[in-house]
Amino acid sequence: MKNRLRVLRAERDWSQADLAERLEVSRQSVNAIETGKFDPSLPLAFKLARLFETTIETIFTDEE
Amino acid sequence: MNGQRKNLVVRRYIWRFSASMTLYVAFLCLAVSEFRRGHPTGAVAYLLAVLPSIPIIGTIASVGLYLAEEKDEFQRTVLVQSMLWGIGATLAATSVWGFLENFVAVRHMEPFLVYPMFCFFVGIFTPMLKARYR
Repeated sequence: MKNRLRVLRAERDWSQADLAERLEVSRQSVNAIETGKFDPSLPLAFKLARLFETTIETIFTDEE
Repeated sequence: MNGQRKNLVVRRYIWRFSASMTLYVAFLCLAVSEFRRGHPTGAVAYLLAVLPSIPIIGTIASVGLYLAEEKDEFQRTVLVQSMLWGIGATLAATSVWGFLENFVAVRHMEPFLVYPMFCFFVGIFTPMLKARYR
């Protein structure tokens, strides 16, 4: 699933490690989600949306 | 903070697994020496024979506890996938070997070797799966 995590992260000047810390997951998890190789669960997607103060649909797009 | 919590979960897993393996070595040595020294019979023989398998069950439990305690869904997914690949490879290898034993003269594989074989396959598949997500 494609996503805008890298852009959203860059806007806040956060590293993958910074985002991982805020999400309470490993940096590898953030990298796997960001590269579209791992789709997060709904709770984690909501957590991301809350963190970036936006909606899940704004972060993730339903296309391969 | 997450790093500390994560380390705690991993440390707990390593500690449980190591403790189980230490007990395994101790129990195995005890069982082997007792059976070599004398010929235990009855309940004692059964107890000594089963003793080394108890810590093995402990290692399985430690993996289960790790999966229950690990909050990082990605890490859990990688481990579960590694174990599924490990189960598949172990079932395939033991099935092939079983038929070979049945029809051709190959060495008998002891059933207690199945678990180390599974661990071996999981050990191979884990880094491969992690590399796939990089």
